[in-house]
Amino acid sequence: MSEIVLETEGLTKYYGSSLAVDHLDLKIPRGCICGFVGRNGAGKTTAIKLMLGLLRPTAGSSRLLGCDSSELTPAIRQRIGYVTEGHRLFRWMSIAGLEKFQRAFFPEQWDDKFFADMIEYFELPKKKKIKHLSNGQRAQVSLAVALAPNPELLIMDDPTLGLDAAIRRQFLEGMIGLIMREGRTVLFSSHILGDVERVSDRIVVIDKGVLRANCSLEQFQEAVKKAILTFADSAPDEVNIDGLLHCKRMEKHLALTLVGIDDEKIIEWAKSAGAENYDIVKMNLEDQFIEFTAPANQKRLFKWEER
Amino acid sequence: MRFSTLLYKELRECLPWMLLAAIVLLTLGSFFLREQIHYRNPSWYYSRLSPGTIVESHLFTYSSILGVTGPLLLLSSIGLGLVLGIRHFWIPNFTRTWPFLLHRSVRRKTILTAKLVATTIAFVLCLGPVWIGLYWYACRSTIFPPQTLKNFIEGWIFIILGLVTYLGTALSGLSSAKWYTTKIFGLVFAAVVIFMTFPQCSLFRISAVIAASAAILLSQIFQIFGRREF
Amino acid sequence: MPLWIQILPGSDEPIYVQVTEQISKAIAKGQLASGDKLPAVRKLASELVINPNTVARAYTILEQGGLVTTKTGSGTFVSDPKLRKSDAADINMLTERMDTLITRGLNLGMREQDLTRLFEGRLAKFYKKSNKRKEEK
Repeated sequence: MSEIVLETEGLTKYYGSSLAVDHLDLKIPRGCICGFVGRNGAGKTTAIKLMLGLLRPTAGSSRLLGCDSSELTPAIRQRIGYVTEGHRLFRWMSIAGLEKFQRAFFPEQWDDKFFADMIEYFELPKKKKIKHLSNGQRAQVSLAVALAPNPELLIMDDPTLGLDAAIRRQFLEGMIGLIMREGRTVLFSSHILGDVERVSDRIVVIDKGVLRANCSLEQFQEAVKKAILTFADSAPDEVNIDGLLHCKRMEKHLALTLVGIDDEKIIEWAKSAGAENYDIVKMNLEDQFIEFTAPANQKRLFKWEER
Repeated sequence: MRFSTLLYKELRECLPWMLLAAIVLLTLGSFFLREQIHYRNPSWYYSRLSPGTIVESHLFTYSSILGVTGPLLLLSSIGLGLVLGIRHFWIPNFTRTWPFLLHRSVRRKTILTAKLVATTIAFVLCLGPVWIGLYWYACRSTIFPPQTLKNFIEGWIFIILGLVTYLGTALSGLSSAKWYTTKIFGLVFAAVVIFMTFPQCSLFRISAVIAASAAILLSQIFQIFGRREF
Repeated sequence: MPLWIQILPGSDEPIYVQVTEQISKAIAKGQLASGDKLPAVRKLASELVINPNTVARAYTILEQGGLVTTKTGSGTFVSDPKLRKSDAADINMLTERMDTLITRGLNLGMREQDLTRLFEGRLAKFYKKSNKRKEEK
């Protein structure tokens, strides 16, 4: 059993009367890349800040590397890399100045050559000030400065928001490079399901502050599926099948989005409901995520009118 | 090494404002001095008065250099305190750099201490030489009566009042309350302290008031900083 | 010959399936001959920018399918075709897929001869490629 590097228990956060994070229970083992996905405002940044001790929970607890989040010791913080939301750095510092600043806090761990290679690869002039860098370049510096100390646990808060595909790919490369070293773990939140699918071992889905999924990526991809049933006459009104997320009814067809139910059971139900034909369709991760987090009876934004 | 890095970073953020304060103080200060000296020059008067006019002697004397440059020194000091307080504790709220700064392998107290020490150094390095220079000039010049130690200390008190302003601004910046409620408490407290020191004649009483208020502000700042959410 | 794998993240096939299928195809076409060494898991993962566990999983599936063998310490190699056994489950899967293709073809209005000709034509392409490879060796 792998050691748990990040765990939360009933982690809850209220802002006034507004619930941002609702009883989050997570256990992230060492050595994995965990993709933390959720819609905008789902509570990802709040959860991450709670884990890093920047916010205090209303209830519940969180532990990083065995240490309580509200009392993270300097020694523990030294083992954790953090890429902040928006890559906010000190605007007046030059890249070289930022390097010196960051390096002082990781005297034995800092990899000079690695940092230099990254800056050279990104073609960033060391003397340039952070305020004169573009968003993408600032993100690159933020990544370099977080990876150079070779952290045991890397937490990244929406690191590729607003960045072009090439820079997003660089971030993924950085994550893969880190994970290949012994005992490293990465937690990153993202909107881009394609990126999450590429590099994650585990997926955590949070929706309106509530944990909706916490499993291996493979389990999630196999669990959410679509079944299209065709009926001779009209489709039944009552659809009482296990694991039903959404049901779309067209005259003779039912399009069901289901989670966590075997193909055989679907076929069984289809037959018992009198379906003429059935088709179990695979979905891509983005569609799975959208349907998984959509509220019931989600209307389409634009209705196609037949003329 | 970690503390010195933090200290250097905070000091570097103070630097532009230190220079600004020093320049303002030096230019305006020397302007006022020259104006006063010129205005109080006996020969200037004599040349403009009809012979036989009786002129009161107090027009030609100054009590202390502080009388001439005091208001300017105090205002510069308070101004520097306000600006540095805003720079260290208000601006990071807008630039959202707190998460990056706070995730360091040091205790939160250390990060706060670096800011406070940096500001103290800024005041001493910036306003200190200016005041010492003015005092030395007063001692050397023939226009001012002999300056006493009390005069010297009074100048430093003006400088320390600037530090009190800094602490009050810091406390206000750290408060997460709405601006129209307890958030301005820090600033108001500092203002009250400044006004309280004025009517006092006894240096001892003034020092006691300043020391007590600084202690209160510091303890509040450390407490809030340690528990605040960012 | 270098192994060329293209990952499509938006696809409805999980990534490990894409890797497995593309390597299978390369082996079938003769682009990878028996005895050829597959890239190291880490190397392929960092080239494709995917999780090493995904690559490892693909290799494991290929090994279970008998297409490759792993020698600890040396790496993963394409196995000898003569040594690959197909079991009942493999034959079943093959049958199912063939049924799908035949259904589609018939629904499109193709006749038996058309289907046979199509099948033989595609098969010839695979053999031509693998023969070419053998000649190069």
